[in-house]
Parts: sequence; structure tokens; C-alpha cells
Amino acid sequence: MKQKNHFLVGDAQTSISRRKVLKSASAFAGAGLLASSASRAWAATFEEVGPQWASADIDWMSQAGKTIVLNAVQHPWTDAITPLIPHFTELTGINVDVQTQSETEYTAELPVKLGTGNPTPDVYMVWAIGQAITAGWLEPLDGFYANSQLSDASWWNDDDLFPSARSFQKWSDGIRYLMPITAESQILFINQPLLEEKGLSVPTTMDGLMDTAVALHGDDVAGIAMRAKSTGDSTWPAGGFIFSFGGAIIDLDGNVAINSPEAVAAMDAYGGLLHKAGPVGISSYQWVECLNDYMAGAVAMGCDSSNFATDIANPDKSVVAGKTVYATLPKAGDMPIKPNMWHWNAGINSSSANKDAAWLFLQWAESMPTCLLSSAAGLATPRASAWASDGFQNRFGAQAADTALSSLKAGDGDLFKATWFHPKGPQILDAFGIALNQIATGASDAKSAMDAAAAKIEADLAG
Amino acid sequence: MISPARRDRRRFLVLMLAPATVLLLGLTLVPFLVSLAFSFSNLSLVTPDDFAYIWFDNFDRLFRSPEFWNAMRVTVIFTIAAVAVELVLGVGIAALLHYETRAVPALRLIYLLPLAITPVAAVFTFRIMLNPSLGVLNYLVKQVGLPPQDWLGTPGMALMTLVAVDAWQWTPFILLIAAGGLAAMDDEPQEAAQMDGAGPIAIFFHHTLPMLYPYLAVAVVFRSIDAFKTFDIIFVLTGGGPGIATRTLNLLAYKQGLEFLEMGYAAAIAIVMLVATIIFSQAFLRRINMFRPKAAL
Repeated sequence: MKQKNHFLVGDAQTSISRRKVLKSASAFAGAGLLASSASRAWAATFEEVGPQWASADIDWMSQAGKTIVLNAVQHPWTDAITPLIPHFTELTGINVDVQTQSETEYTAELPVKLGTGNPTPDVYMVWAIGQAITAGWLEPLDGFYANSQLSDASWWNDDDLFPSARSFQKWSDGIRYLMPITAESQILFINQPLLEEKGLSVPTTMDGLMDTAVALHGDDVAGIAMRAKSTGDSTWPAGGFIFSFGGAIIDLDGNVAINSPEAVAAMDAYGGLLHKAGPVGISSYQWVECLNDYMAGAVAMGCDSSNFATDIANPDKSVVAGKTVYATLPKAGDMPIKPNMWHWNAGINSSSANKDAAWLFLQWAESMPTCLLSSAAGLATPRASAWASDGFQNRFGAQAADTALSSLKAGDGDLFKATWFHPKGPQILDAFGIALNQIATGASDAKSAMDAAAAKIEADLAG
Repeated sequence: MISPARRDRRRFLVLMLAPATVLLLGLTLVPFLVSLAFSFSNLSLVTPDDFAYIWFDNFDRLFRSPEFWNAMRVTVIFTIAAVAVELVLGVGIAALLHYETRAVPALRLIYLLPLAITPVAAVFTFRIMLNPSLGVLNYLVKQVGLPPQDWLGTPGMALMTLVAVDAWQWTPFILLIAAGGLAAMDDEPQEAAQMDGAGPIAIFFHHTLPMLYPYLAVAVVFRSIDAFKTFDIIFVLTGGGPGIATRTLNLLAYKQGLEFLEMGYAAAIAIVMLVATIIFSQAFLRRINMFRPKAAL
């Protein structure tokens, strides 16, 4: 069923120009204003925040009068950025038609649209990155960065982006195709009262994780929930286990490594946790079931995206708000932890007729001032300055933010990209998802399932 | 020599038939021919520039693939099980309603409600109800002292659950056709059998049911074709899992086409599904003709 929400945001045009604003003064003054007024970010007027954007040495009005289409998933980024778009329209005179869809609809429809050379959307959230770059659906961004009329490097402050986010932007040819829009890492979240009730501490090793999960497992509350549905997008947390056990799915030389002893050991541990301490019906669990069960108090632990922290901390949604302790992924033996990570990215459609306007939007949306505003709504942006802000720390939770940041730094972006950025990433993750599900349900042991997945992936890559 | 009047009449007919013909060609024949052409090609949306006709290579790959044969097996089992359950329940309820006198309009309305509900909305509701830890079904199961069930978590149970949801949605379709057949039926043979001392069960199986065959044959063909290409229920509830236990041909085609963007290979699966549907429906209708009662002809 197709359900699109269209918001044509902002019609007002303004004569405001960067050249009317004292650049350096407003940069500092505005930063202070935004940081101090983070809690009322959504009520901020253009007069309050406009100087921050206008201070850039960019001709924001160069594309005035154009309308761009933003195709996005129903996602916290979309929720955070949409209310701010009237500011963008006022700054640039560019209207933005925001079209949102559920992730399932989006990932099914967008590739077909792009594959047929459709000029819309102009900007879109990029899902299968390797697929999109290989197929030529993304406009390289380096030219925009170098365009002095459309970009201001010192105002943009590339160093403020997390290194992993900068790494995600680039394809193997060294060209930047993507604009990172979120930052998330794999973390452990535990119901603290239950932990204390059993006299347990936060596990720091994989063996300790198993013992804790089993100890917390009971008739009414399961010990741990992690994704196990047989779909490609269920594999993300299991990927972090494999990396932390010293394994890979596709190694850095491009070889299939999903059935290496390290990967098998990791999946044995992952499946064992769900077998011994998972909820009934774990086989159909995607991230949403894991989050819902945790927030309802039906499971004691989870290991998934740091972005869950915003919902977990929301007392309107969660019975464990304020009762959760966050931790990094436990260590497997002497191996360094390598939790999985993810940056949602946006890109410009290579067939778009409004590429300059699309670039202005991307640059505005991920600029320091905009990230400061969106992070105050709990959005985990790819900018260190936003993560350090009071607004974000208050909304996300300081302990969750620190844990997520540690995990993000510990993650191995290259290992992640070798699989998730692969041109045949969807096929690889589909085979991995089937193996993961079979291991979690006990339908197959880890070795057999991973061998079968490796054979399938080899065949797909050869085909 | 055609008279002006006949020529005008012919023009009028062509003019009147043209919109429907164009629509029919545009919506069915053209997509079919395009799919057929794609099925002989290596078209991938990831590498559209490498397009080439590879003729029967897609079909060769398909028939050698264990994934395809698993999907075919799952599809056939699901289709047979779902249609069988719906047929038994639909005919049974229709027969009971036929002899009910007072509450028929209200009952018929209730029984037909599932048909009126948007399938995806209904399936999402089922997804919530079937949630093992928070769903109402396991709550009820626990209330009667049974352990909670993993409705979608084991291969056998998942397929049975899908059949049950499909039956909930589509039994009313069979019921509707069977009820229509019963209403149009001549009651004289049943009355004669009754006077000869036959009981209600014997009358139903020896007289009523055989006379319903022509109606049920149509219902079974329609439902089988529809069940064979079921997508929404399976996609929302299991996504083809656990493992690939509920990955039907339609789901396989979806994955190949819309996830992996292998349009040529996906088109080959769709063509195989079409051919299988035609073969099944033709064979079934011929088989039904063999034991259709003379009285109904």
C-alpha cells in the first residue's frame, strides 16, 4: 500500500543575504544563542537563527524560486528536519516538497524510480549505497564543495563531522557522493532495576553477557532481545558481533568471510543468547519489536542502535525511561570491540534538474547551526558540536550519548563498508539474514548456516 | 459494396470499443509482452548499460536454483491448504446459513466483513495480535493455561498461521459464491430424497454438494489463482521467514526485482508463475467437467 505524505514547506521569500550580516560576530553570538535556547529550538524564529546560516560566504539566494523534492524515510531525521525547512526557504527562496514513506515502501519504490532515470526526487536518503553509486544514481559532491559560490569550507567545518561520517561519504574511488545526516552505533541497554534486583553488574565480556541474560530471563521478562528476522536489514547487530569476534562478512580484500571461524563463533554466541534468554517468537523480531519489548519492560536487555535512547528516555512511550543503563558491546576474549555503526546519508539524484538547489539544501541541513537545532529534538547528527550541546545531552541522555560516542569511535567503518557498501549488498545481507534466522531459531547450527550463506553469496557475486 | 449505413454502424462500433481495447492492451497485453521480453534479458537496474538478450539463461538458472524449487513447494502447499480450508468453511457456513431463517441478513453481513477490510490494514492488525510477547492471542492462550505460542517463528507454525489469516480474509468469498449457488438451486431433488427417507447429511453430500460443483469450481479457480500469488499477508507477517520457510514465488520475484533489481530474472519468475497458473486452471476445469452432474448442465 502506497502512502505518501507531501509537505510543501515554506513559500516565503526573503531578501536576507549573508552580505548583510556581520559574519564573525553572528557566528559566535548565534552559536551561544542556539546552545542556550536548545530546549526551545522548535520555537526559534528565523530572526533568531537566520544569521547563523547567513554568516556563511555562500550565495544562498542563487537558486531562489526553485522547488526541490526531498524523498525521505519515516525517520527521526525527517521528523527533525521538516519543521526547520521554512527557515531554509526563507534563507534561500527554495521550496522543498518533502515526500516521506515507510522504509519498506521506500526501499522498494525508490530504486525503480532512480533506475528509470526519473529526475525526482532531487535529494533522497540513500539506502543501498553500493547499489546506488554503482548504478550512477548519485551526483558526486566534490564539485559542489569546491564551488566558492555554493560552499564555504571554513563555515562548513568538515573537522566537526565524525571521522566515520567523513569516511561514509567516500566511495572506493575516493569521491564524495554522500552527505551523512545521522550517526548511530551499536550499544547495550539494560533495565537497571532488574539488574540491581539480581545483584548483577553491567557485563563487559561476551561470557558475562550470556550469564547476565540467562540470569535476567524469566517467565514474564525475557533476558535479551536482538534482531533475528530473516531479512537483510535484521543483520546489523549481528554484524557488530562478527566484527568484535575478529571476523568479517566480506573482508577488506572483498572475499566472502562469513563462514570464517571467527564469524561462526560470533553467530554461535548471538544465536546462543537468543536461544537461552530470548523472548518467544524471536524469529520475527526486527528492530521495532526489540525496541517495543524493551520499552514495555518485556525484555531486560537489548543490543541495537544508540538511536533507541531517544524513545527509551521518553516516559510517554517507555516504562523504563530513566531506568536504563547503557554500555558498549562486551569484549570477546582479547579482541577489541568493534560495534556496528551506521550513518544515514542523503545524496543528490544524478538525473535531477535542480542539483545546485539540492546541494544548498544538503549543506544547510547538515550545517553546524541546523544540526544544533535538530539535535535538540533528540536527533543524533553526525556533528561532534551537536553531540556536545546541552540540548542534545538533555534529550538523548548524557550516559547514552557518551556510550554511543565511545561505540562510534570503536567501530570499524571499513569493515562495515566492505559489506554494506558492496554493489551486491542487498544479496549478501539477504543470505546473511536467512542464516541469522536459522541460527536464532535453532533450525541450523552456526557452522552449517554460515557455510550455506557463504555458498549463496559466492554464487550471487559470481552471477 | 458496403452500404453507408453499415459503414457508419461499423465506425460507431469501432469507436465505442476502442477505449476498452486500448485500456486492455495497455494494462495487460503490453506489460505482459514487456515482461516476456525482460525475461529473456539480463536487465539489471544497477547495470542497465550492460543490457543484453540472454534468451533462456534466466529460466535455466531458475530451474537449477534450489531457492526456486523451495519457493514453488511453499507456494503450492500454501495455495492448496488455504483454498481447502476456505472451501470447507465457506461451503459449511453457506449451508448453515441456507437453513437459517431469522438471523441470515445480520450473519451474512458479519461473515462478509473481512472481504471489505483493506488487506494490509487487516494484516498489520494480525501482526500486532500475533506478537508473541505483547499480542492478544498469546494472552488468551495463557489465560486457558497453555504456553505462549511462537505463531510465526517455526516453519510449520508460520505456514499454518498464514493459511489461517488467508482463510479469515477469503472464506467469505467462497461463502458468497456457495450461498448464491444454494439460493439458485432447485429444491425438488432434495425434497424427493427427503420423502425417500434420506437424512440431512446424506442429502447434503449426495444432492446439494454435487449440484454446487459448477459454482465451487469457479470459486476454487479464482481463489487458487489469487492464493498462488498472495503477497501482502506473507510479506507483512513473515517476510518469507523463518529462514525461507514461507518464501513463495511471488516473494522471490519481489526480492529479485525490487531488492536486488535483477529485473530480467524477476520477470522470468513472473512468467513461470503465469504459465503455472494457466496450466493449473485449465487442468482443473477439465477435471471438474468430468464429474459435473448432468442435472446442473
